Amino acid sequence: MSRGGSRGGLTIRREARRGGKASARPGHGTLGPVSLISIAGLTKRYGGITALDGLTVDIEPGIVGLVGSNGAGKSTLLKILLGLIGSTSGRATVFDLDVARDGIAIRERVGYMPEHDCLPPDMSATDVVSHLATMSGLPRTAARERTAEVLRHVGLYEERYRAIGGYSTGMKQRVKLAQALVHDPRLLLLDEPTNGLDPAGRDEMLLLIRRTGTEFGIAVIVASHLLGEIERVCDHLVAIEGGKLLRSAPLGSFTERTGTLSVEVEEGQAALAERLIGRGLTAIVDGAAVLIDLTDERPFDIVRDTVVDLGLPLIRIEQRRHRLEDLFRDDPAGSAPVTVSTPSHAEAPAVPPAAPPS
Amino acid sequence: MTGPGPAAVPGAAAPSRAGSIYDLGYRRYEGPRLGRTYAIRSLVLDSFRSAYGLGRGGRAKVAPIALGAIAILPAVVIVGVLTIAARLGAQRQFEQATPISFDTYFNSISVIILLFCAAQAPELFSRDQRNGVLALYFARALRRSDYALARLVGFALALLVMLLVPQVILFIGRVLISTDIAAAFGEDATKIPAIVGEALITAGLLGGLAMAVSAFTPRRAYATAGIIALFVVPGIVAGIVIQLGSSAIGNWLVLLSQGTVLDGTNALLFGKSLPEDLFFFDLPVWTFLVAAVAGIVVSVAVVVRRFVRITT
Repeated sequence: MSRGGSRGGLTIRREARRGGKASARPGHGTLGPVSLISIAGLTKRYGGITALDGLTVDIEPGIVGLVGSNGAGKSTLLKILLGLIGSTSGRATVFDLDVARDGIAIRERVGYMPEHDCLPPDMSATDVVSHLATMSGLPRTAARERTAEVLRHVGLYEERYRAIGGYSTGMKQRVKLAQALVHDPRLLLLDEPTNGLDPAGRDEMLLLIRRTGTEFGIAVIVASHLLGEIERVCDHLVAIEGGKLLRSAPLGSFTERTGTLSVEVEEGQAALAERLIGRGLTAIVDGAAVLIDLTDERPFDIVRDTVVDLGLPLIRIEQRRHRLEDLFRDDPAGSAPVTVSTPSHAEAPAVPPAAPPS
Repeated sequence: MTGPGPAAVPGAAAPSRAGSIYDLGYRRYEGPRLGRTYAIRSLVLDSFRSAYGLGRGGRAKVAPIALGAIAILPAVVIVGVLTIAARLGAQRQFEQATPISFDTYFNSISVIILLFCAAQAPELFSRDQRNGVLALYFARALRRSDYALARLVGFALALLVMLLVPQVILFIGRVLISTDIAAAFGEDATKIPAIVGEALITAGLLGGLAMAVSAFTPRRAYATAGIIALFVVPGIVAGIVIQLGSSAIGNWLVLLSQGTVLDGTNALLFGKSLPEDLFFFDLPVWTFLVAAVAGIVVSVAVVVRRFVRITT
């Protein structure tokens, strides 16, 4: 696994343009070989706070996940790409247009779904979306037709004539997606699109995003702090932290890491971690749990044996996959990387209350 | 949830064909994109309509429509009475007796206009901020200043209509009632520049001030209170200072009171003398016009600056 572009400003290009759907754009031949988004040394400071710190990354068409914890600079980056706010220094282009100079030309062809509530409760979805379509330059009749189409696409039917104030969160999120799609953008910027949704609503929204990106050939950037969700729809990930690029790589290279094993014990976390490190694992104490890096299945046996040896009251063993924290613990200071490499295909630990891998 | 697929069509012989009928999928938009100018025009129209509650629920229409009706009422009544007076051959006497004519109409409905501003200006700027919808506007083919100016112009146009419709009723009524229509038209037509000019100044100044206040709060109630305070307080302060006998300071203070300034421009445009309560005023009358234009310019600048800087 190549760990490219960590810390600092290394430009990583995706090795190969995703063939087929994403780049086959009937009627949009102008996209051609130009890069979708190119960011070089982008810095944004708000007073004393640095939101983006020399960010450099190129993004090509496809469904791209922009991941980072809250405050990592995701929303700031999206707003700069839209030309909504200026940058302190550095340069960014969208469709080879400068975001500082050509904001209107970019925004004509970009759809934006903000993170927060942004819909007037006293208007119907139809009225809001078609009004916003005219704000993108669509003639009134075309705006109405497109509105009916995109609302149907996002799954709003008869409800669309009712005032938005009576909508569920899931319906509101769909209207927000519809208004971002109504002017047939070439690029969609979605800021935390599953915010406030229940599990079923999340699944539906993610499916919708996946369809939008694959079937309709619209490039999509999804900003989220939930890696577990984003990995279900994206084919490329850009991880940022503290306004810097952590990593930009195809999703596959992220999934090579199996994840983290969380061992929850009632007491003796420190002793357990110490013993596990002694046996060659990477383990850290996290509250009531000990987190162990997983690269193969060997740690399961070691953990079982160690817990039995120490006679610790075990609560649960849980395999966490691809949590954002795993990305950020890529270079844990002072802890050695996992060195266990013997293939020992043991079964899952034989501890009764062990939860299945989530 | 993603549209009825082929499976949703029972008994369809060829599912793929049925699917193509019922689920058209996503279609590209290949039609014209009219760009920024069109977007601005559309937003002006939307602002105009919103000022009257059009395109909103029934409750949003109550206040603006009621106020509009009250503003028209005096004109309708006068035309009605003029008709009766004309039948009785007493038209001249009535015209001399009536307190409301072209030059006094604006002043007589000024309270209605003020209430319309206080009620409806927050309906645009405060409401947009409260709903968080600014992010959606700014993400479209507009500049932030375009948004601010389009909303402002739309509201000023709504005020202009409210100011001019009663005058038009009065004008048409007077002309049609008179025995010599051509002569009556010729006589009243000389007033048209003054009527339109004063309406433009009033709509610009009151609309600008009201929108400038409502640009600074997402809370409707605060905006309404602020607008009323801005319209009423300077006049009261000026009155107190004048009563205390300091007409030198009073001269300048009345230039901050929009009601007095509009009385002054009205007198200037219609070629009348200043109203009695302004007799102390010893600056040239055109200073009222300068004050009105300055007020409009400052309001517009404040509004544009606010939305260029606002964070979404």
